[in-house]
Amino acid sequence: MGLARQSQSVRGETAVNHSKHSAGNLLGQGLCAALLYAAAITAVHAALGAAVVLPPLTQPASGEHHVGKVVWADLVTPDVDGAKRFYGALFGWTFRGMPGDSNYALALLDGEPVAGLFQKALPAGQSQQPAWLTFLAVRDVDAAQQGALQHGGKVLFKAHYYPHRGRQAVLADPDGAVFAVLAAEGGDPPDYLAVPGEWIWSSLLVADPKHETDFYKSLFDYDVYDLASEGGSEADAQHYILSSDNYARAGLNGLPADSMRRHPHWLNFVRVADAADTAKKAVALGGRVLVEPRIDRHGGRLAVLADPSGAPFGVMEWSDADTKQEPQ
Amino acid sequence: MKRMIRSWTIGAVGLLALVTLAACVVGGYEGDGGVGYVGGVYEPGGYVYGGWPAGYRVGPPRGGVRGPGGRAAPSIPHGARGGGGHRDGGKGH
Repeated sequence: MGLARQSQSVRGETAVNHSKHSAGNLLGQGLCAALLYAAAITAVHAALGAAVVLPPLTQPASGEHHVGKVVWADLVTPDVDGAKRFYGALFGWTFRGMPGDSNYALALLDGEPVAGLFQKALPAGQSQQPAWLTFLAVRDVDAAQQGALQHGGKVLFKAHYYPHRGRQAVLADPDGAVFAVLAAEGGDPPDYLAVPGEWIWSSLLVADPKHETDFYKSLFDYDVYDLASEGGSEADAQHYILSSDNYARAGLNGLPADSMRRHPHWLNFVRVADAADTAKKAVALGGRVLVEPRIDRHGGRLAVLADPSGAPFGVMEWSDADTKQEPQ
Repeated sequence: MKRMIRSWTIGAVGLLALVTLAACVVGGYEGDGGVGYVGGVYEPGGYVYGGWPAGYRVGPPRGGVRGPGGRAAPSIPHGARGGGGHRDGGKGH
């Protein structure tokens, strides 16, 4: 009886131990499974959340296509917060973060997307500077890439698709000027006169304008208007107008002879009511004046400025009242 | 006890692997094949603008400007948003 009780007692402890062991195993395996499940869910959510969603250029979709039109601009800067303060105060832009990439912010004017700001660290040890990247409309980004390569250009970032925005790539022309092409999902913005605070004009400053017109004509099928020769009075200042749909889309200038900035580049202009006032305000906000306000061909003033990070951009007046005398 | 420790170890390694994978996915925007924003490029620096000489003009012409050949220089759209671009090519802004 005593042995029997002892035996029963031992069996009982063993059973209890087994039971505890099993419970421990189950708890451990259950926790492991829960952790794995949680990690998997986290990974899936992270992957889905990381797909940056850029808004379409037009809402509702325009269905229009204006090949060669400048349809967008992205600022690439190491200081997005500083850029927001500067451009917000200068042009009245507001900003919105984009889901999927905390480094990308959307600039808006009166609630409408006007530009993108992209935070990117400046590479150490390299002489590079922040810049506005100009986006030109195409129907087929891959064909534009191929065309650029065939005509002496380069592909800096191959075609990439963004839901709602469309497909885009970053290219360089034969002179080295960087630009992007975008096949916008839903179509390009309709043609209208920019209001103050919106982009109104873009100029390409290059070493060899004539050669560059061939490149851009091949990619965007532009009509090229030679202001220097057809105007008759500017033989020494090469200035071509690239047009499509009977609209001037961009200007193509030779770099000024006395300019020390030799690297060819696109320069985008925001419409302003008063270029001189805007230049003063830009300086007060930490920017710089690169080209003092001056009267241009259309009878209004323009200036070239730099934001606090050094990215150049232009400001341009444009109104029916612009009747100032052009410099001779 | 050993089995329990083994289970925890497997779980921890699995968790670490998945978190690492997720971090790789999230942090992939710098590369061309990333899922965040790609395509931002800096321009070569070290340059400054010089003065633009008199007569150096970069702006668009106004509509109606015609060259010697009678060809109208194209200008920018001048219609208001939502009202069409008034594609007449020859009227002033």
